Amino acid sequence: MSKTPPDLRYTEEHEYVKETDDKSVVQVGITDYAQGELGDVVYVDLPKVGATFARMDAFGTIEAVKAVSELFSPLAGTVTEVNTALESDPALVNRDPYGEGWMIRLRIKSPKELDDLLGSEEYTKHIGE
Amino acid sequence: MRWRQIETTGLSGAENMALDQTLLDEAERTGQAFWRLYRFEPSCISFGRNEPARERYDPDAIAQLGCDVVRRPTGGRAVWHEHEVTYAVAAPVQAFGSLRDSYRAIHERLAAALQALGADAKLAPDRPPPPAAARHQSHACFAAPAGGEVLVQGRKVIGSAQVRQGKALLQHGSILLAGSQDVIRAVSRQPSAASGEMTLTAALGRRITFEEVAEAIAATWDDTLPSTALDRPRPPLTDRPPSIARFTDPAWTWRR
Repeated sequence: MSKTPPDLRYTEEHEYVKETDDKSVVQVGITDYAQGELGDVVYVDLPKVGATFARMDAFGTIEAVKAVSELFSPLAGTVTEVNTALESDPALVNRDPYGEGWMIRLRIKSPKELDDLLGSEEYTKHIGE
Repeated sequence: MRWRQIETTGLSGAENMALDQTLLDEAERTGQAFWRLYRFEPSCISFGRNEPARERYDPDAIAQLGCDVVRRPTGGRAVWHEHEVTYAVAAPVQAFGSLRDSYRAIHERLAAALQALGADAKLAPDRPPPPAAARHQSHACFAAPAGGEVLVQGRKVIGSAQVRQGKALLQHGSILLAGSQDVIRAVSRQPSAASGEMTLTAALGRRITFEEVAEAIAATWDDTLPSTALDRPRPPLTDRPPSIARFTDPAWTWRR
């Protein structure tokens, strides 16, 4: 059974959004379910700080078990921080997807977009668990 | 799902990668599904999309051997494309589902073709990956089977890799007819363990041709997808010619 913390928001494409101390900045990564489906993560290609994305733009790619998948920005915004620890230890995504395996922090353009994301119950239903 | 089979020969590594990328773009744009069989002319080394090639391989050694070289849009490790049948499948993700399901479904079809040729082809069991230290002993794609890959006599005979773009996937890979992956070891900066590949010629004890394997796959692909049909004669692939600029650019090939 995958972990889907109740305080996070989710996309159908398996990214999560976690609030930070700064209300206008969210932390983005992939869910526990997604890392389990992908398997052993060997590389995460992330954007540079300052990059801007529209909602559901691809913000990077992730490689696991010889497959490269796109990562989608759950919200429109500007990257304020990138998890550089993933460069040397991409398996953090497997070990701690909601913690040390986070990917980007995003200054969001429109907080209203948060309402369009899935809650944990909806996401759990989406992944069939 | 209705499949379109694309036949192509005589293309270089960059041209082949550009065509596979175009098929992926088309699958994403139109929801169509494609498969094709091809070979690399001339023979070619391909790197995985995210491989640290500059750290692992010596460009001078590659130049001395006169090898063509390209970086794939898909993941995985280096492959020497010489005596092989290369396959590519580009399709909507929904045709195959999850990563694991898609590897297994495509490999089941290819394994059935190899079985029809007399090879004892089996899929590798899903299992936890080996420790990281063991995985890095060899950079060659054929060094280690992943779950769902095709084995003959317990050794990998097909090396595959995948990329997912939007709602579509591209999976391509090499079905080894003969030869070895020694070129990868020869151009590696650090000594690496012998690759554990198997070839169809070794498995069957006779010389096997590209055409034999291609025909077996075409027959099996039809058999295993009874509700679909291949378009014959094949219509033009697309109005948009594949752009090879990305795959001929050394900045892409040696980007890491």
